[in-house]
Amino acid sequence: MKRFLILVAALALVAAASTQALAVEASEAPGAKPLPVGTAFPDVPLIGPLQPALAASLGIAATGPTPINTVDAEVLVVEIFSMYCPFCQREAPTINELHTLIDKRGLSGRIKLIGIGAGNSDTEVEIFRKKYNVPFALFSDSAFAVHQRIGQVGTPFFYVLRKNAAKGYDIVLTHLGVIHSPADFLATITAKAGM
Amino acid sequence: MRRFAMLAALAALLIAATAGATETNSESLAQNIFQVPHLPPTDSVLAVAVGSPMPDFDLPALDGSRVRLADTIGKKNLVISFVPAAWTPVCSGQWPGYNIARDIFEDNDTTLVGISVDNLPTLFAWTRQMGGLWFPVASDFWPHGGLAKKLGILRSDGTAERALFLVDKKGMIRFIDVHDINARPDLGPLLEAMEKVHAEK
Repeated sequence: MKRFLILVAALALVAAASTQALAVEASEAPGAKPLPVGTAFPDVPLIGPLQPALAASLGIAATGPTPINTVDAEVLVVEIFSMYCPFCQREAPTINELHTLIDKRGLSGRIKLIGIGAGNSDTEVEIFRKKYNVPFALFSDSAFAVHQRIGQVGTPFFYVLRKNAAKGYDIVLTHLGVIHSPADFLATITAKAGM
Repeated sequence: MRRFAMLAALAALLIAATAGATETNSESLAQNIFQVPHLPPTDSVLAVAVGSPMPDFDLPALDGSRVRLADTIGKKNLVISFVPAAWTPVCSGQWPGYNIARDIFEDNDTTLVGISVDNLPTLFAWTRQMGGLWFPVASDFWPHGGLAKKLGILRSDGTAERALFLVDKKGMIRFIDVHDINARPDLGPLLEAMEKVHAEK
């Protein structure tokens, strides 16, 4: 009887763990093939008008398109989002917190955060920005052109990039789904980026 | 020891049950979407045009009320978002986006209505798993696709086109986007049309 009960307990815990693991909080993208860690990130264009202060913080022009490799950052966190993705909507305040945390830790000169709206026009990106008062730069990708080049990933998806010797970016971390703890995610970013 | 083992088993079962319950509506929605192949972009012949009167309609809504053209005439501009079918990929991502654009519709004195040819129980379950919507959702199920047929957006397989209509307070159609069924329409052109109609005296 005792062994049976222990077996029940073990099975139940395995079931619980599996449920959690399967419940990725993201809008799935059939055919998604995220680019692997350790490879170069494509020099995709960043599209859409930017407020001058945001453009200056990234070291790019306020009017695009701007090649992503021209962004002036040691580490660049790229969030692939969509205004139509309920997870991205729910998570928006948390990513704003991540931006604030990067600033509070004195890392804003080294780690930059941007968003690319997969399938979103300039208007749709602006709706999302205004709704959630997003303090960092958001770019549009209305025809999914960038999305196709970066693995047609689900949303939200995070690519953490580090500048390489050739002035391009290498992928050091990928993450599909909602971020629950900005502090934990920032710790992972700095660890993976070797900061 | 036996008591301890029983307690451990109960605790584990409780944890397992809690883990299952933490799954959100949106997560369930993502897992329950029926994948469809690429379809012909359109499969119908539009029966109305910009400048023509909106055909009359009176459809049942999810909250038990009716959605009628007559209720908006003289009061509000009206946007109708027709989607092809519940539980399909593009449709399931379209209306949740409108959830964060409510202010824009209200600022332009415009009512939004979502319609599909699915029946009410199907629409009820589907929109609940979206996490709810701020705008009314009505069913054009019976007579099947009655309004869709009047508009000329009923496809040969019984689904509707993915289409947007803007109707002004006089009941005239001011904007039409019968979109490629495989892609989500950009909100930009619709919002521009709404602002233009709203700006008219």
